[in-house]
Amino acid sequence: MSALVRFVDAGLEGLDIILDRFHRRQGVIGALLLSPSLIILGVFAFFPLLYAIYISLFDTRRGIYNGAGNYLRAFNEPEFWRSVKVTFYYAIGTVPLSLAISFTIAWLLFRIVFARSFFRTLYFLPYVTSAVASATVWRALLRPQSGLINLLLINIGIEPQKWLIEPRGVLNILTDGMIPPAIGPSLALCCIIAFDIWHASGFMIVVFLAGLSSIPKQLEEGARLDGASTWQVIRHVSLPLLSPTIFFLLIVSAIKSFQSFNSFYALVSAPGDDTQNLIVYIYAQFYQNQRIGYGAAVAVLMCAAIVLLTIVQWRFVGRKVHYE
Amino acid sequence: MVRVSLACAAVLALVVSCTPRDVPAQDSATPSSSTAKTFKPIDPTSAVCWDRNTLETAKLLDSIATEYNATQPPVPIKLEYLGNYGDIFRKVSLSIQARELPATAVGYEPMTSEYIVAGAALPLDDYIADPSAGLKADELADFYPSVLETNKFPQFENRMYSFPFCKSVLMMYYNKRVLREAGFDAPPQTWDEFLAQCRAIKSKTGKQAYAINVDCSTIEGFIYSMGGEVVNGSVSTFDQPNVLAAFKLFDTLVKEGLAYQAPPGTYDDREAFAHDRTAFFFRPSSHRPDAAALMAATPDDWGMTRIPQSDPNNPRTALYGPNICVFRTTDAHQKAAWGFIKHFTSPKVSVRWAIATGYLPIRKSAANDPDMQAFWEKWPQDRAAFDCLAFGKSQPNVVGWQQVRTLVERALTAVISGLKTPEQATADLKKEADKALAAG
Repeated sequence: MSALVRFVDAGLEGLDIILDRFHRRQGVIGALLLSPSLIILGVFAFFPLLYAIYISLFDTRRGIYNGAGNYLRAFNEPEFWRSVKVTFYYAIGTVPLSLAISFTIAWLLFRIVFARSFFRTLYFLPYVTSAVASATVWRALLRPQSGLINLLLINIGIEPQKWLIEPRGVLNILTDGMIPPAIGPSLALCCIIAFDIWHASGFMIVVFLAGLSSIPKQLEEGARLDGASTWQVIRHVSLPLLSPTIFFLLIVSAIKSFQSFNSFYALVSAPGDDTQNLIVYIYAQFYQNQRIGYGAAVAVLMCAAIVLLTIVQWRFVGRKVHYE
Repeated sequence: MVRVSLACAAVLALVVSCTPRDVPAQDSATPSSSTAKTFKPIDPTSAVCWDRNTLETAKLLDSIATEYNATQPPVPIKLEYLGNYGDIFRKVSLSIQARELPATAVGYEPMTSEYIVAGAALPLDDYIADPSAGLKADELADFYPSVLETNKFPQFENRMYSFPFCKSVLMMYYNKRVLREAGFDAPPQTWDEFLAQCRAIKSKTGKQAYAINVDCSTIEGFIYSMGGEVVNGSVSTFDQPNVLAAFKLFDTLVKEGLAYQAPPGTYDDREAFAHDRTAFFFRPSSHRPDAAALMAATPDDWGMTRIPQSDPNNPRTALYGPNICVFRTTDAHQKAAWGFIKHFTSPKVSVRWAIATGYLPIRKSAANDPDMQAFWEKWPQDRAAFDCLAFGKSQPNVVGWQQVRTLVERALTAVISGLKTPEQATADLKKEADKALAAG
């Protein structure tokens, strides 16, 4: 019996030693396990980022070191600032509206019983459709001379619009010229915003639906028993409990709004001052004007702006998020 | 974390604030023979030529290349079709960064000037002057001066960095049915007549006369035909009265409802023309085959003529069409590329190409070629375009013009949208264009 006890003790001691060694080597094993993703991130994310910073310091066409020249040029370039303005109009137009519309649709989809799966699929469809393909359809619909939208407007007695080629501000059009045409987003930009809300809302709806499903039903029932109206339930129960979801979507959609390219490029084949966001501007510098160093400098500035925006959101909005 | 961020920011600030200075550069602003052959050919066994032709014209070009390859060049020519000129420009530009290039590629003058700055384009003067492989004086004299001059780059010692390849000129296409409805039996010869016809078309038929395709070369053509220029040396001339006159014409046309803007990147102007919704469109003569196809049911109801002029006795129009550029790769690739260019622009091949594609023959002697004459009998519009070659003027070949093109198109869009007056638009355009040209 005692031999058995000694044997078990020895076994346990041996196991302790192995576990001890394993713990000491955990760091090495962890690093090994992380290395594939670190390599991929290094090659496809960190290296390009560092290389972009490096080439932003050069006049790449002439191979001349340019110091802060490209950055200074950006700050003195009216076209750069116009692109910044378009980017902000776009972000302000898409992010809050997408969130509000997606939440509303998700809330309704969560409640309906009739053909629930059908409607959920229907709303998710735009997201899985190719942006370029759907943009082509939108372009056809919005053609000034032969587009379906203008034909409908003419039929109901409304003046047809130039839609995607209208650089005048939408406020100017709505107020019949009382507000100067350069104020506010152009009608063309509003069309792009509408397209992106339509295209991206499917993803947000699915995330909101997942968030709504995780809210315990008792909370809503309790609120109802206490006499809360639908709006009060949404305001005081659903929205606070969805705040992590909203925060996640806010961060992701804000970043995506700064990086939007497909819709701009596919909807407006020759972007004007009113439809050229920062990414399209960077693209033009790289591939149309061959100002690669300058384009990289603008890209670095944009990256810094996104990081700053995310930190601000994290600091100010993140505090109001309820994590259970 | 904060310390690390501050340290990174300090290092970055230090790096970017260093005074700009030259580092041992691989390229220089004015490439010399010392920078020659620094690019690897993308295919060591053949001289790759990047082109934009498709379908039938690509087949013809392939057959011309096959003929040339039968002459046993140092390396055979291999044609690759890469999309439009913009796509080719992007691909060449990226290949310059990768230090690996095709032997030759087609492109417009502003594109070539970018290649020169990058040290990639090879001056062709030595090849042209070569006693055996070059062109004799009478052969050179057979080319229209306008198509040759545009390939000489004044910012780069006036050397010839490209060679004319496919040429066309800006023409006015007119719909005879719509003109007849408005009581006209001939297209306008001057801009005043053009405006008068547009007004008559609007009042008598209710139709808009013209769908504006906002394109820099078209705008340049309007300016040239009004006696204006767009650049003087490396400074723009958008503050000149003739430029303002061109912008004012567009402004008047749109304000009076005589014209509207066709969506960029579409052929809505041609489509509206074919459906009798407009009377005019302005496109290069190379669009003649497409116009003929669109109007195939009523081939006698349309025409193509030179664009209206302010001074019909001193006509001008925009010269379109790509040139071809040879890159600094290996001697064998360069020789093969030049040999192909020489073969392609030889009188017989030039005529064959023109008949099949709608481009213009770039040799004067083509006018006497029986095949060409027979073709012009069938398509007199093409003869009208060929006659314009004598006074066609190409876009400026100065560094930075590629950027100016976008600025010009945006300035015109601002005018026809009512965002700016022609005076404001041209003044702003002048400022921004000069800035872009100065930045180079």
